[in-house]
Amino acid sequence: MRSGSAHMWLSACWQVPLILLISVVTALSVNALRREGRLALTDGPPPPAGDELRISIDRAQELFQQGAAVFLDARPRRDYLRGHIRGALSLPWQEVDDRIAEVADRLTDDRVIITYCDGQQCTLSHHLARYLKDMGFSRVRVLPNGWTRWRQSGLPVAQGTGEEER
Amino acid sequence: MKGASPAARRTFRSGLFARLAYHVVRLALGAIFVYASIDKIRHPAAFAEAIANYRILPDALVNPTAVILPWLEVVIGALLMGGVWMPGAAVLATVLLTVFEGAFIFNIVRGLNVYCGCFASTGEVLHGNAWYLARDSLFLAAALYLLVTIFRSTGNDADHGAAP
Repeated sequence: MRSGSAHMWLSACWQVPLILLISVVTALSVNALRREGRLALTDGPPPPAGDELRISIDRAQELFQQGAAVFLDARPRRDYLRGHIRGALSLPWQEVDDRIAEVADRLTDDRVIITYCDGQQCTLSHHLARYLKDMGFSRVRVLPNGWTRWRQSGLPVAQGTGEEER
Repeated sequence: MKGASPAARRTFRSGLFARLAYHVVRLALGAIFVYASIDKIRHPAAFAEAIANYRILPDALVNPTAVILPWLEVVIGALLMGGVWMPGAAVLATVLLTVFEGAFIFNIVRGLNVYCGCFASTGEVLHGNAWYLARDSLFLAAALYLLVTIFRSTGNDADHGAAP
């Protein structure tokens, strides 16, 4: 039993590095040869799709004050109920197909649609913005880390369902 | 087995069952590894984003991990299914699944939703992820079973997928 176990460990000792080597060589070769979707190994993580739509907090504030924007909260509904940009509509990314009809009549191209969620890494707003773009809305923007930055800037917020704000 | 004692029959049957279980687990876990890698290989940028959402690795390691990890899964999966280099494949499968589960639990504890990279309260994250946690625990248990079976086997056959 001891000799069998020792033999297995010896086998693992040369197999593990070899498996790693085979995987690395294959992965790098495939990545170098692929025409689409190649990742630059020395770069940071790619920006999420929709990142080109980002808007600054100052511009978002301007549009808010002019009443020229409609804000869409892409976070889960419970986060929206706890607090959101005043006047924002809730459209959780996870439920977008079911809930888009609830807000669709409030989305028009005469107002800029600004999506947001929370956290520097949060991409729900990016996904939502791309989704709306694909639906045909032309004036769509993303406010990255929107909820935190909005609060930190001391801009108007609200709690609850948001019905009374509209 | 004709003429064998009841005890010998029981031993034979349990040995047969152990062999069957070993091969079923080996094939299933191998298939899971290969299956899990396909989408990651097809969409490396999306996988890089998913890794970044875990917020554990430094940015410089996100893309290399997104490129290499799926192929490591393919190789491990193929070896498990083929019954080749089983000690090495089982060690790596166990290590990988332990790391995945550890990263997942780490983020649940600190309240990070790994699907969007955003923080929520710990309870909510746990509620949404309980199923994934149970599933990953099952995979890890399968890998540990293979590992223990292989390393407890007395012969050299496990090297080639014939343990126990």
